[in-house]
Amino acid sequence: MIAAWFAITGFMLIVYVALDGRNFGAGMLHWLVARTPEERRQVIAAIGPLWSWHEVWLVGFGGTVFAVFPKLLASAFAGYYLALFLILWCLILRGISLEVGGHINDRMWQEFWDFVFVFANTLLAILFGAAAGNLARGVPLASDGTFSMAFFTDFTPRGNVGLLDWYTASVALFAAVVLAAHGATYLTLRTEGLVHDRSAGYARVLWAAAAPLLLVISIESAVVRPDLLGHAMYNPLWWVGLLLVCGAAITLISGLAARREMRAFIGSNLLLAGLLGTGAAAIFPVVLHSTLAPENSLTAYDVAAGPNSLAYAAIWWPIGFALSAAYFVFVSRQYAGKVSIKRDNQDFY
Amino acid sequence: MNSPFSDPAMWSRIQFAFTITYHYLFPQLTMGLAWFLVYWKWLALRTGNEKYDLAVRFWVKIFGLNFAVGVVTGIPMEFQFGTNWAGFSKYAGGVIGQTLAMEGMFAFFLESAFIGALIWGEKRLGPRYHFLAALAVALGSWTSGYFIIVTNAFMQYPVGYHIEADGSLGINSLSAYLLNSWAWIQFAHNQMAALVTGSFAVAALGAFYTLRGLHLEQARMYLRSGTVVGLIASMLVAFPTGDQQAKLVGNHQPVTLAAMEGRFVGGSMAGVAVIGQPNVAARRLENPIEIPGALSFLAYGHFGSHVHGLDDFPQESWPDNIELLYYSFHLMITLGTIFIVLMAYARIQNLRGRLESSRGLLWVLMLAFPFPYIANTLGWMTAELGRQPWLVYGLFRTSDGYSKVVSSGDTLFTLIGFVGLYFVLGVLFLGLVGREISHGPGDALQAEHGKEPSV
Repeated sequence: MIAAWFAITGFMLIVYVALDGRNFGAGMLHWLVARTPEERRQVIAAIGPLWSWHEVWLVGFGGTVFAVFPKLLASAFAGYYLALFLILWCLILRGISLEVGGHINDRMWQEFWDFVFVFANTLLAILFGAAAGNLARGVPLASDGTFSMAFFTDFTPRGNVGLLDWYTASVALFAAVVLAAHGATYLTLRTEGLVHDRSAGYARVLWAAAAPLLLVISIESAVVRPDLLGHAMYNPLWWVGLLLVCGAAITLISGLAARREMRAFIGSNLLLAGLLGTGAAAIFPVVLHSTLAPENSLTAYDVAAGPNSLAYAAIWWPIGFALSAAYFVFVSRQYAGKVSIKRDNQDFY
Repeated sequence: MNSPFSDPAMWSRIQFAFTITYHYLFPQLTMGLAWFLVYWKWLALRTGNEKYDLAVRFWVKIFGLNFAVGVVTGIPMEFQFGTNWAGFSKYAGGVIGQTLAMEGMFAFFLESAFIGALIWGEKRLGPRYHFLAALAVALGSWTSGYFIIVTNAFMQYPVGYHIEADGSLGINSLSAYLLNSWAWIQFAHNQMAALVTGSFAVAALGAFYTLRGLHLEQARMYLRSGTVVGLIASMLVAFPTGDQQAKLVGNHQPVTLAAMEGRFVGGSMAGVAVIGQPNVAARRLENPIEIPGALSFLAYGHFGSHVHGLDDFPQESWPDNIELLYYSFHLMITLGTIFIVLMAYARIQNLRGRLESSRGLLWVLMLAFPFPYIANTLGWMTAELGRQPWLVYGLFRTSDGYSKVVSSGDTLFTLIGFVGLYFVLGVLFLGLVGREISHGPGDALQAEHGKEPSV
């Protein structure tokens, strides 16, 4: 039961990253792929009407974690206090930049909100990347299951660690590159003209850059957490994750090479799923690893809610998920194809 | 160590209170306005009259801005359970996590999937599906409200739980938890209050355009719908929902009722103070003007019923800010009463055909729109201050719930950050809504002739 909930919450996180990753990526590349005001409107129109739909998966993920692993939320959120507020403020700025930017047709107004859009999305990609690095590396968890962490300490991933060290910083860089590549793949699918051509170029370059970085990250992970690999090898799902990564990479590369935009984009989403799934399978059952003493680590079993709460959640979650899958189909159909920037207040975002 | 700066629970309380109060300014309008959109959309579908579509096209812009600020200010609320209230999350997460997750799965997904279709999809969807999008958003926003109120009702009147082996709470019966009697009554009271906010906003804009002599056909609609819904909702807020809510407090939180009314000494024939100032140090209500027996009757059904005073309870179970609680409650009641009178008078004048020519009354209707926001806020202050010193009533104290690892300085820092960011949000929101109002909805005739000025 608890392993299933770990998989379900992991799956919701994957959906969130695959959806909001488009925003992060498009945000990071905004100034690079779009130069004129019309081109910039194309990028915004590809993201704008969808941001709350994407962001809501973070709320769905967070809420489900709260319901089934309440003690994880309590320990991790308090420990990452300031970093989480930074994320919150960036999420607020990102949403607002999209929402108010289009409201006034004025060049300076839109230039300003474009800047906020780029800034907030870039910082979000880096912060979420660092968070993923932290989950792999561990946190200075004390024996009472709490921790409190600085932004950085001595930049080494051992003992009394901070949010950023050389390991988590490199994971953050990797995440930023991958999410930018994901965003470029998405923009290739949804835009036309110069924005489309530049996005296609960036998608190739960034995905090519991601491959060696992935190798570096894997070696670094083996150094920082030498125990992980030996442990992961016995988890069949870890092998499934690896297979998914390989399959996704083939789909993505063939899609990019053949200029099949949908195929490349599906490959991009699957690749994110594979990377996150492999990582989650590697750390399971530990959800918060202690860098101070391994026996302080919290497992999914330590942080889970009582059996009744889990059983009730198993009743309503599938219903809620089926509904959200139906909405997903509706939204995907509504926003399929290339974006239009006609200014009649109907199609235009 | 007695400096107020060194009390982390205090700063976490203030941060939560500030962010939730600010946040709730937006959903209350969303929840109120959503049904106006559904209603106009439905009329447009039935009659084919262009004026209803114009009204929806105009109000949906204000709705969209309001919705967006509601979304971005709502996410910090969920985060704060973990960041600032780790003790509480650890203790009660097995119960309240259920409804917070259900809110995401059943309400937010629905709302956010259809909000884009509602705002930008009129042409693409066609009238019937656009109506359904409005309905989906309205249902989503009310469902979201229900799950939040179930969560709050558990904190006010815990039911359906059991205590796990490690001392934390778990769900014993999900249906008992979801159908908590406190939740139903509080939901009804709260949703009627949200409709009051929505209808006052609609009526206020109708009054504004009438005073200006602009968009008169639209203004007439807004005045009529706003005052009709405003009168019905204002009355329902007081009776039966508000009355039932007070009876619940009287039955399950008698010490809270005593504090709300500033009653220090118990007894029968208890009166309701219309005016008076509680003096907690001297343990008395100063300069009271009371309606004798009213409290006994309202709370327990008989003028002779015994109503407890604060002195009947140990002081550590008293709400920790009795003055603020007392004033919040009394001002809420006063405002609620004024709302009924104002809307009833506006209805009478409207039926006599005199509303649009009564400039004085139009001015009052226009300037009245902030007061439902104040009354809603005061209502929530009454509920939440009245719950103190408990986080989960009778089970878990507020002083045990905050995050021990977060220093008060960190919390103060993030609180100041929110104040700054929310100030900017407020300025942007008001500026953009003001812009939409100055563009106005236009009139049906005008729309047929030429192009509406686009954004």
